Amino acid sequence: MAATADAAAPDLQLRPSPLLEVSDLRVTFGTRLGSVHAVQGVNLTIEPRRTLALIGESGSGKTVSAQAIMGILPRTARVSGSIKFKGDEIVGRGERELRDYRGRCVAMVFQNPERSLNPTMRVGTQIAEAVGCHLPVSKQEAHDRAVELLRMVRLPAPERRFYEYPHQLSGGMRQRVVIAIALACDPAVLIADEATTALDVTTQAQIMELLLDLQQETGSALLMISHDLGLAASYAEEVIVMYAGKIVEQAPTKELFAGVRMPYTQALLDAIPRIEMEPHVLLPVVGGRPPDLAVIPPGCSFAPRCPRVQQDCQDTCPPLQQHEPGRWWACWHPLGKEPAQ
Amino acid sequence: MRRLTRSPALRVSGRRLLTAIPVLWGVTALSFLVMNALPGDAASAILGLDATKAEIRAFSVKLHLNEPIWTRYWHWFAGVVTGNLGTSLSSPQSVASVLGARLPVTLELVIYAMIITLVVSIPVSILCARWPRGVIDRLSLVLSMGSISIAAPSLALLAVIVFAVKWAIFPAIGYVGLSQSLAGNLHTMTLPSIVLAVPLIGFYIRFLRADLLEQMQAEDYIVTARAKGVTEWRILIRHALRNSFIGLLTIVGLNLATLIGVTVIVESVFSLPGVGFELLDAISNRNIPVIEGIVLVFGIAVVLANLVTDLLYGALDPRIRHVRSRS
Repeated sequence: MAATADAAAPDLQLRPSPLLEVSDLRVTFGTRLGSVHAVQGVNLTIEPRRTLALIGESGSGKTVSAQAIMGILPRTARVSGSIKFKGDEIVGRGERELRDYRGRCVAMVFQNPERSLNPTMRVGTQIAEAVGCHLPVSKQEAHDRAVELLRMVRLPAPERRFYEYPHQLSGGMRQRVVIAIALACDPAVLIADEATTALDVTTQAQIMELLLDLQQETGSALLMISHDLGLAASYAEEVIVMYAGKIVEQAPTKELFAGVRMPYTQALLDAIPRIEMEPHVLLPVVGGRPPDLAVIPPGCSFAPRCPRVQQDCQDTCPPLQQHEPGRWWACWHPLGKEPAQ
Repeated sequence: MRRLTRSPALRVSGRRLLTAIPVLWGVTALSFLVMNALPGDAASAILGLDATKAEIRAFSVKLHLNEPIWTRYWHWFAGVVTGNLGTSLSSPQSVASVLGARLPVTLELVIYAMIITLVVSIPVSILCARWPRGVIDRLSLVLSMGSISIAAPSLALLAVIVFAVKWAIFPAIGYVGLSQSLAGNLHTMTLPSIVLAVPLIGFYIRFLRADLLEQMQAEDYIVTARAKGVTEWRILIRHALRNSFIGLLTIVGLNLATLIGVTVIVESVFSLPGVGFELLDAISNRNIPVIEGIVLVFGIAVVLANLVTDLLYGALDPRIRHVRSRS
């Protein structure tokens, strides 16, 4: 545990100055049953034009981390650590300053396009509102920008779509509208929180392609949050795996899939169905449940579910350390690294 | 004709009005039965204690009161179908003219009370939802619980004692018609309308505050709006309120109907010449044609209130509007 501070040491490689720097982010929710430590010391850096994937199962703290970065956590959340956007601290900012930052610096695409649009408002109005929040535009200019955004997200007949209501659009089209809202003020960082989970596979691919195209067009960075390691493998340049509020493995995508180190990442990988598998055979699932985040055990939080667990895993929590250039993991007994005996 | 049926509003109205017919028939038949089951009859009630048996019999025969109940109901029903509501037993006036004189007073009372209710409760609940558990929220909780708990008759008397007797801001009784003088009309109608509105205000504040908070805390589209950088005020008023109005409309529709019942009490306390006042009089006189006329009018009012509510749903919620125009 003492080594977490070292883990935050800056990467020595030459890289462009980061857009977003998150260091030792901790989010705690006070509940009647005690404090829930949803995020426990997350460090991550987002650089311009890069695509980063944050992977983990439900309750691993990935969405809470994203909400902290957006500054949209509920008031009951206690946030510590640092989130810097182009060097400016976000944590501890007042509501007015946060409002100025949200949507303009960092924007978010949400999971459920069925529910993330206001059912009683025309979709164009909802996009124009996002434009008007940050830019001093007239009603006509906001309208024109909204139509342009609808065209940008490849919605056919954007002039007509402007006047339609969310229920008149399909799930994929709605998600395009949500993306248009997110892009309204040219944000530097776009966070896609399970943006394709609620969509069918074909639409999923279209939306992911659209996000990557738009990233190229606008030069923004993309942080994709997903439970789907396969999706990350196809689209992200770097993958961060979270478990129980902590980062457990981080690596460039190619290297990660060339040799997984953390047993949890391996378990996630094994759970992806493959075409060459025998039909009607049960998929290997990660046994057990994620730990209760209200109680922090002394050892590795994956230990109770880990097939490679040993005594030292129960006693001390392995820190996240850079073991190879660009490759970080938090494990005492990583895969492919067995000591020669 | 085809163009008419293609209009969704007309189609909804038509369907509603058709289903209203059995409802109206049911309520009038039931009230006929109930009035008949009550002890006493119109002849002795109207002629008084001094009337002789012969006088009572003559009166009963003249007004067909001695005929069996179903014959009388049939006479009344046949009259209604041909547009004739009959004649009052206690005066030579037709029931239609009695209702025509009384109905505007009651309608004004109900509409005025509903306007007061909405004008007070909507802004207050927005303030409560803006700062939940804040000073305004806590204060309004106490006051609205009190306003819901107080019974209409005692509230009416209390209002008369405080605002008419002690401070003499409003008259205790009396009515000035809208056609005579607007100021005079408002002067006499404000206190009764407030009495009608007070319990509703408390109820509406509790409902709307809870619904707004629910929207603000649980709905994803609110998160989207926050992520855009929209101000909390604008989120409340432009996003949450519009969606909460759909729920509010349901209660307004129901309350328009129940308010008509409460007007009976308020009109008799303030001596307003409305339908409710007339109804009490008619019941004590066993004046069945007038009672039946009022029951019919109340029934129609409830049906119309529901119809207007239904049509307004479409105006508030585009999903309903589009489903209707497609079906």
